[in-house]
Formats: sequence, structure tokens, C-alpha cells
Amino acid sequence: MKSIKKTVLALIVPFGIIVAWYLAVKYGHTPEGILPSMEKVWKAFKTNIENGQLTNDVLVSLSRVVKGYFVAAILGIVAGSVIGMSKTAKDLFLPIITVIRQIPIIAWIPLIILWCGIGEESKVVIIVLAAFFPILVNTENGIEKTPEGMLEVARLYKLNPWKTFIKVYLPHALPHMLVGLRLGLGVAWMAVVASELIAASSGIGYRMSDARSLMMADVVIVCMLVVGIIGVVMDKLIGVIFGMFTPWEKLKKA
Amino acid sequence: MGETIKGQQNDQKKKTNMIKVDQECFMKGNDYIINVEHLHKQFLVDKKPMDVLSDINLSIKRGEFITIVGHSGCGKSTLLKIMCGLVDYEDGIVERNGHAVVGPGPKCGMVFQDHRLLPWLKIKDNVGFGLSALPKKEREESVRKHLEMVGLKGFENSYPAQLSGGMSQRAAIARGLANNPTILLLDEPFGALDALTRIQMQKEILRIQKEQSTTMVMVTHDIDEAIVLGNRIVVMSARPGKIMDIIKVSEAGRERNSEEFGRYKKKIYDYLFSEENNEMTYKDVSSDIDEIQKKKKNAS
Ligand SMILES: Nc1ncnc2c1ncn2[C@@H]1O[C@H](COP(=O)(O)OP(=O)(O)O)[C@@H](O)[C@H]1O
Ligand SMILES: [Mg+2]
Repeated sequence: MKSIKKTVLALIVPFGIIVAWYLAVKYGHTPEGILPSMEKVWKAFKTNIENGQLTNDVLVSLSRVVKGYFVAAILGIVAGSVIGMSKTAKDLFLPIITVIRQIPIIAWIPLIILWCGIGEESKVVIIVLAAFFPILVNTENGIEKTPEGMLEVARLYKLNPWKTFIKVYLPHALPHMLVGLRLGLGVAWMAVVASELIAASSGIGYRMSDARSLMMADVVIVCMLVVGIIGVVMDKLIGVIFGMFTPWEKLKKA
Repeated sequence: MGETIKGQQNDQKKKTNMIKVDQECFMKGNDYIINVEHLHKQFLVDKKPMDVLSDINLSIKRGEFITIVGHSGCGKSTLLKIMCGLVDYEDGIVERNGHAVVGPGPKCGMVFQDHRLLPWLKIKDNVGFGLSALPKKEREESVRKHLEMVGLKGFENSYPAQLSGGMSQRAAIARGLANNPTILLLDEPFGALDALTRIQMQKEILRIQKEQSTTMVMVTHDIDEAIVLGNRIVVMSARPGKIMDIIKVSEAGRERNSEEFGRYKKKIYDYLFSEENNEMTYKDVSSDIDEIQKKKKNAS
């Protein structure tokens, strides 16, 4: 019963938007190039799927995300672990990291274009930059919060530093790390779209900016919906996959 | 951790101790598996040194069962940790097997006050945590044997979160026993157990101690338990922890309903509550120091 109520409540606002949209098109006399009708958006979706363009754009963007995210994950986990375990490393890096994090990712794009051009690298670099910080900060947090008592157990059984990391620090940090990886994937997806909007010749973001210049609001809306849906799907997917890595976490809440 | 106060001096002291130690061992015929002399321990609290242990002298014979009682905060846990090499000390001699303690060793096990199982490991992996050097088969065999010993057969694949507090504590005891230590230090191991299980575990631990002639040192807040289990009972004063007395328990005195048992009990109560025993006698209070302290608080 509760879940039915939840679903109904979740659908009320989207339904309201659809109704408002419908009414605005029917009675608002807005030009097609500004607010297209729902049928027009649906048609644009169908044509773009059929001619393969949309799928292609999405794949280009996703492949950029995969590359950048992979690098960010490795860098973020390694850096977060080091900073989490070493007080010196923490005092050395964390203050500056905190400052750099305040710069929105969009604000990096001009500089990165200057440095890396508008090719593939600049997009990947932007994604790395976007995903790196949430992964780093959460990993660091999880490592640092490892209870002294558990480390004492590792010392009692004379685990060497590497074993201590693998058997105590890492599993303790894993749930936090996964939160960071999940947040990181979200911002990576947003960052790729943003960077493609500003400077690119392919990808879903580029398609949007291209359609805007052609006054094709229907295609813009299709792309936006696709971006949103892919974001949600990726988030849910990674949540489920990561849940399988930490079976003990579920028990805690029960 | 920032607990060492005179780092370098200590190292030197320990080195000279080591030479002393060897002579002493020779003199004592190496009877003592643990030897603590003139141990002092301070912790830095708000950058100020605070005395936690003061002039501790305690020699423990191979196969002996020592129990330690004292008010909470008097440094019992710290003493155990120093004995097993987890905590550094400033002053004095601490030896295991005739060697100055410089760190944990495989032959000295410890069961912590809180069970300290690792939440991400199944019970069998927690119990086998210290056994990674063994071949898989032997490890599994040891885990199986010790889980059975503490009555946790069938919980091999559970996670700690699925166990009750008492079961977790038993799993921790199994972990402490799994690598067959010659010394086992137990820090209030039965505190989380109900009265029945506790008595069962007391019998079990005595059996294990006899069977494997393990030397055991157990901190407890249950005076009855201290008498039932200990060959000798170490009574400690409030902070800074000093040893007030070491009471030798006769075999007959370990029987709960013997007259001697009552005498030991009175003696320990007198030591621990000498200041306020005009209003409380040992007969009308329960055997639990913690409970007495609670009553004290409520009364005031
Ligand atoms: N790592 C530490 N740093 C500072 N103070 C500590 C530390 N560990 C214990 N203490 C202090 O030392 C005293 C003795 O602690 P503990 O040995 O745990 O007592 P007990 O086990 O007898 O209750 C307490 O006052 C406690 O607060
Ligand atoms: Mg204690």
C-alpha cells in the first residue's frame, strides 16, 4: 500500500507538467521553435532513433564518461587512501583540495580548452576533474574514520601495512568509497554534457547546442530527456552493483 | 597516538632492561612467562601527562590463571595492552618469555573488552583472522574447532551484525584462542553475557586453560568470577592504578559455596570499598562492582 501511495505521489508533478505543457501549446500560441508540441517531440525522438543519430551521440558521450571516470576512480581512490592514512599527506593536500573543489566544473572548461584544445582530451580531462573530487573526499573520509580498535586488532595479529590496508582500511572505507563513486559518476555525466555544449563536434551535448542553433526545440527537449533518463539509469545501476560488494552494510540497518 | 612521553629515553631504557632481563630470567630459572617490574604508564590528556599505572609489579608463572579486579578507569585494559605489546610504556620492565616486550607476538592472544570483530568478515573469517599464515585446511580446522568450543557452530557464514552481543563476544574469544596462544589476555570477556552463559563460559575457559595449559590473565568486574577463575587475584586501586594486593586462591576457595570463597569476597570488597563500607556490607550487595557503583551514584 505504501509503495502504491509513493508511486502515485511521485507521478503527480510530472503529470501536472505534461498537462501544463499541453495547455500551453494548445492555448498559448507559442511558436513551434520555442515550445513544440508533445507529438512533435515524440516524432523527433523516433526519427533520431531511426536514423541512428541519437544512439550515436549517446554512445560518444558515454564512451568519454567511461574513459574519464575510470581514470578519476583510480586517482581518487589512491589519493583518498593516502590522504586518509597519512596525517602529513592530509595536512599537505586537504586544504588546497577544499579550495579547488569550490570552483564549479563549468569554470574549468575555458582553461582546459586553452590547454587541451577542443578535441577528445579536453572532454576526458573535464570528466576526470569533475569525478575526482567526490571520489577522493569520500574515500579519504572512509579511510580516516577506521576505528582505532580495528587497527589495534590488525596490529595484534601483526598485519603488515599493505595487509592492514587491504583487510581493515579498505573494507571499512568501501561503503563511503562507493558513495563517492556514485556521486562521481553523476557529476561525470553532467560534466560531459556541459563540456560538449560549450565546445564539441559530437556527443549528446553537441547535438543539443546544434539543434538550438537550428531552432529545433523538439530535438533539444529529446536530448534533455535522454540525458536525464540515462543519468537516473546509471545511478540506479551502480547503486545495485555496489550493494553487492558490501553485503554486511544491509544487515546493519535491519 | 601520541602517548609516548619520553620516546627516545624509553628506547634506551628498554635496551638496558633487556640485558637486566636476561640475567633475571636466568636467576629465576625462566619460570615466569610474564614479568612486570616497576611499571609506570602515563597518558597525555590535553597535553598533560596523567598517571594511569604506578609501580606495577607482577610475575606470572607458566600455566597460571590471573584475574584482575579494580574500579573502572584504573588502568586494567592498559595493563593488558602493555603486556601484549599494543601500548608503549614509559618506565619499568615488561617481559614475555624473558624478553622485553616491544610489540605483539603470535603466542600472545588478546580478547578485547568490546568484541572488535570486523563487520565485513563472516564469523569464520573473523575467527581465522590471525591464521593467514596457515594452509587453508588447517585454518578451517582450527576455526571449526574453536567455533564449536564457544558454541557457535552453524554461524560460520553469519556476519557479526547478525549475532547478539554475547555471541559476538564468544566469537571474539574463539578468535583469541584460534592460533593457540601460550598466553591469552582477556579484557572483561564475559561482560556482555547473561548469567547462565557466563557460568558456562567460565567452566569452558577453565577447561581450555587446563587442557592447553595456556597462561591466562583476565580482567573482570565480577568478583565471584575473579575468585572462581583465578589462581591469584590482583586487586588494583583507583587511578593511578596500583596493585593493592595479590590474593592467592586455594583450590577449595574456588568453590562458590565454600566458606573460604566468602572470605575472599569480603577481603576484595574491603579493598575496593574501604571508604564507604560503613553503609554497605559485602553481604547485601550483588557481586558486581559496576552495580555497586551505580547504587553509589543513585544514593548521592
Ligand atoms: N589512548 C589513550 N589516551 C589517553 N588516555 C587513555 C588512553 N587509553 C586509556 N586512557 C585513560 O587511561 C585510564 C585507564 O584506562 P583503562 O586502562 O581503559 O581503564 P580500565 O580498563 O581499568 O577501565 C582512563 O582514565 C582512560 O581514560
Ligand atoms: Mg577496561
